[in-house]
Amino acid sequence: MEYLVHLAVLISIFAMLGLSLNLVVGYTGLLSVTHAAFFGIGAYTTAILTTTFGVNFFLSVLVGFAVSASVALLIGTVLSRFSDDYYALASLGFNSIVFSIFLNWQSLTRGPLGIPGIERPSLFGFGFTENSAFLVLTLLFLALTYGACRAITRSSFGRVLQALRDDEQALQVFGYRTTYFKLTVFALSAGLAGIAGSFFASYITFIDPSSFTVMESVFVLALIIVGGLADHRGALLGATIMILLPEILRFVGLPSDIAAQMRQVMYGSLLILLMLYRPQGFLGKYRL
Amino acid sequence: MDILPQIIANAVIAGSLYALVALGFNLIFGAVRFFDLGFGALTVVGGYAMFFCATTLGMHTVWAIPLGVLVAGLVGLVVEKTVYQKLRVKKASSMVLLVASLGVFTLLQALIAIFFSSQFQVPPNDLFPHSVVSFAGAVMTPVQLAILGSTLAVMLGLGFLLHKTLFGKAVRAIRDDENVASIVGINTKKIIGRVFFLGSALAGFAGIMAGLDTGLEPTMGFSLLLKGVIACIIGGVGSVFGGVMGAFLLGFVENFGVWYVSGEWKDAIAFTLLILFLLFRPQGIFAKK
Repeated sequence: MEYLVHLAVLISIFAMLGLSLNLVVGYTGLLSVTHAAFFGIGAYTTAILTTTFGVNFFLSVLVGFAVSASVALLIGTVLSRFSDDYYALASLGFNSIVFSIFLNWQSLTRGPLGIPGIERPSLFGFGFTENSAFLVLTLLFLALTYGACRAITRSSFGRVLQALRDDEQALQVFGYRTTYFKLTVFALSAGLAGIAGSFFASYITFIDPSSFTVMESVFVLALIIVGGLADHRGALLGATIMILLPEILRFVGLPSDIAAQMRQVMYGSLLILLMLYRPQGFLGKYRL
Repeated sequence: MDILPQIIANAVIAGSLYALVALGFNLIFGAVRFFDLGFGALTVVGGYAMFFCATTLGMHTVWAIPLGVLVAGLVGLVVEKTVYQKLRVKKASSMVLLVASLGVFTLLQALIAIFFSSQFQVPPNDLFPHSVVSFAGAVMTPVQLAILGSTLAVMLGLGFLLHKTLFGKAVRAIRDDENVASIVGINTKKIIGRVFFLGSALAGFAGIMAGLDTGLEPTMGFSLLLKGVIACIIGGVGSVFGGVMGAFLLGFVENFGVWYVSGEWKDAIAFTLLILFLLFRPQGIFAKK
């Protein structure tokens, strides 16, 4: 039971990441490979604020959202100059730079040593220390994220995003400042990823830079591609598949090093097969 | 500054290794116009194929190196035939190809790690003497000199191949427009297949030399790939000479940057350079446009 709760928490956290990345990749058509950076910024904000300054978890979530979104505004300003492959490459570069900062700004992040002893959330004296209580809280935030993403994409703002994905020039002709739209959705998406990061830090209770590498961004990207681009349920499905699939290996009894690599084999093959036979993913509405 | 000659030497060595990767990457990118991330894994395939020949099969390094290169080339060709070619037939966008190549990268790297473990390993070397060469206050190993020499040779060879032969003409025609090239009677499938074989073989060679210089690790492909891609972009995508110059520029900026700050920032420095170039000079140093 504890094992199932653990998996459910992980799926929920990665579903939040997927939902938020889908706003940028699926709905706006920008192939961002830097999501783990914002995931990390949220995680580090919560880790530092709760351990060093004793700030309440829920306040740190808000701060994490704000910090992630602000950094995204800076990065997004540069990224908005690119499109397609170059966008992917430059965003990957930013992930790598942010990772270097996590690793090397040792006075703040303790570098490779990581930050241990992050507390579980508590509100009005009630602590979400049990995994099951934590799961309930995570599911609540997942539902909020889902609702927020749905509201965003159904609003007139969201329709502009999808229109600019399909034909940016046409939209510019109609007088839309597409750059602002891209920047806003990028910052929102980063902020939501920051929230997922706060939950991750608090759940694992220990973070170090290795959870926020470029490969982690690739994982989240693969997750939404598998589930389906431009579909909110796709992010949920993708997270479930990508977290559960490698768990099958656990029951085969492979040595842990091999099992870790077998996961990569699965992800790699899945991406190749999907691109060959179903490039929009299982539920997707938009093809890359 | 007594450390200056050594920094320059390090920059040149790093630059020539990046140039080797950039040359192969540029060749493939020029023909198919998408960022083939699987290319990074082929450096690892080459390095480990050579390692396998030299250890398990007990071959001399002189034979293990060309075999490793050959294996990398063949794997690259197989990937092209089984994945990329099929996607091109379906008129897939360059984003789809990019994601598929990401899958190829992940798959190949994981397979190598399963067969050879993810531990750091040093391939046996009974070709290059285990001594050091001192030159003008800088110390280099014979392997590093071989990297420098072979990079220059490959650059000249590739320049000749692309600009003086019929094959090169065909590749440049495909680069301009694949459909028109096939209409005028160029067998684009065959030419692109050869480009993949050649480019992947170069990737394998780069991986082998990197392995002989600093050792092998399944994850080394990613950073080699990125350095090669960055070199291509700052040198101007599609230009043989530009890619090499970009690689040397990258080598110098990285090594001098590391001298000022610390070694851990190397990747961040490389990416900052990339982003600056993308912003202010996206066509590269030597662009014609």
